[in-house]
Amino acid sequence: MSASAVTRPWLRRSLVAVGVLVLLAPVFALAAGAVGYAEPLENVAEATGAVEHERTLLGSPLPDYSVPGTGTVVGTLVSGVVGTAITLGVALGVGRLLDRNPDP
Amino acid sequence: MHIPDGFLDPWVLAGCFLLAAAAVGVSSWKLRGGLDGARVPLLGVVAAGIFAAQMLNWPIPGGTSAHFVGGAFAAILLGPYLGCLAMASVVVVQAFVFGDGGVLALGANLLNMAVIDVFVGYVLFRALVGVDETLAAFVAGWGAITVSAAAVGLQAGLSSTFAYDLGTTLTVMTAGHAVLGLVEGAITVLVVRYLVQVRPDLVLGLGRARATPEEVAA
Repeated sequence: MSASAVTRPWLRRSLVAVGVLVLLAPVFALAAGAVGYAEPLENVAEATGAVEHERTLLGSPLPDYSVPGTGTVVGTLVSGVVGTAITLGVALGVGRLLDRNPDP
Repeated sequence: MHIPDGFLDPWVLAGCFLLAAAAVGVSSWKLRGGLDGARVPLLGVVAAGIFAAQMLNWPIPGGTSAHFVGGAFAAILLGPYLGCLAMASVVVVQAFVFGDGGVLALGANLLNMAVIDVFVGYVLFRALVGVDETLAAFVAGWGAITVSAAAVGLQAGLSSTFAYDLGTTLTVMTAGHAVLGLVEGAITVLVVRYLVQVRPDLVLGLGRARATPEEVAA
């Protein structure tokens, strides 16, 4: 990303909007926990007994968007900040690789 | 929508990996050297925004929930190839950093969310945008999520883990997401309509006539 990119108003506004989404994540996590959330795929796995086969083959640093040893709010907030930043970095990296005129 | 490890049979995993790799490869090849530098930050911010939006699990009393997936949204904003790479970035980070979707199931998750969701969304949007932009965005969001869910149901149903219960997995996934997809469609409409009003040049899926690189750079 070139220096001028940061000064583009649309980019600044977009990043603020993304920040707001990240701040909302803990609220949604608490609400989803309150209703005992499950996605349709989990429900169908439950119904057909497939859930017994679920495996974790590779440990992840922030399993299920949580920070081990902290509560829902902190874990979700940290996951949101870290995940959004890493995704931004990965996508920018992909974009740079495909860029016609990459910055020197 | 994210498939964990242990659910799918090896040959289903392998097939999904091949299809996903082909689609991501073709998308990269189509964009190679042709991606103007100004679109790079747009790609980054769309991917980051979709990651953040996917963290918002909308609770539905009765014990289910849904989150915005965003494939159609990515396609409308970035076009199908760049949209595919934006969603692929999100799905890969989710798998490796958060264990959301298994690493062996990564091919299937990429196929469902970065390929089918994106390309179905794009085709539906382009087919209907001439009629009405709002209708096109809604049908794209709803239809893409429903077809992706059907693909998940198909992959699960073909795997022995689900005891070959193809009828159940396909029906539950498709019917469930045909309802949840209404939310996906509504959010897609809200964001796309807003962007079309304030910065139509940033909505690359509208077509080249409305999005020159110079405008994006502004």
